[in-house]
Amino acid sequence: MEKKLTEMVFDEEGTVKEIAEDFRVQIAGMGIRKGKKVKVTTRQPMKGPIVIEIGSANTSVGYALADKVIVDVGD
Amino acid sequence: MKRILLMGNPNVGKSVFFNRLTGVNVIASNYAGTTVDYTKGYMCLEGEDVELIDVPGTFSLEAKDKAEEVAVKMLDEYNDSVVICVLDASKLERGLYLALEIIEKCHPVVIALNMWDDTMVKNIEVDVAKLASILGVPTVPTVAITGEGLKELVSSIGDASSATIEAIIGRVS
Repeated sequence: MEKKLTEMVFDEEGTVKEIAEDFRVQIAGMGIRKGKKVKVTTRQPMKGPIVIEIGSANTSVGYALADKVIVDVGD
Repeated sequence: MKRILLMGNPNVGKSVFFNRLTGVNVIASNYAGTTVDYTKGYMCLEGEDVELIDVPGTFSLEAKDKAEEVAVKMLDEYNDSVVICVLDASKLERGLYLALEIIEKCHPVVIALNMWDDTMVKNIEVDVAKLASILGVPTVPTVAITGEGLKELVSSIGDASSATIEAIIGRVS
């Protein structure tokens, strides 16, 4: 099943499937790329940032950005 | 005067290196984004005074905020300077993205694999010799807060070399 990063719940894992074109370059430097495994570590309320674990590093992603990342969460 | 830039991802220890190398005391803390503007200091390298610049942390050379803009501008402005690229060895992949971008700009680069102690604790193995031979630039494991590897890093500044992306791609396979 595919989900936006913003729709994922705490502790949920998945694989990055798609990133909106205009954001792709911007977040590549943070290690967020197609095919990478992600896990949601923290979700801040009120459309706050989402902290994800990616490639052994924790990175926080702003809501607007996270909304553009599609993740495959399996079944 | 020769210039050396300290660059790397946020929160990898650039400012700690800066303090150790120059003796100037800038604020370093365990938060990304502690250094927003750059700081200049001086150190003596092989009997010659050189200027060391502590550049704010950046994930890539595509600036997306003010601090990153400063970093990108500094790199373009001082296009003949040596860059000490500080990477968090336990988050190597993320750091290499920036390192490759800097190498692409034809700067002579030295790579500091910082937080080496933490990397060992986390049981992450990094083949330093192989990484150095693939990238074609000096690569030194360091622990900035204790000063481990600092001497090797400083002495390798003289060997800083620029590499080309094409050559690196050729060596990867």
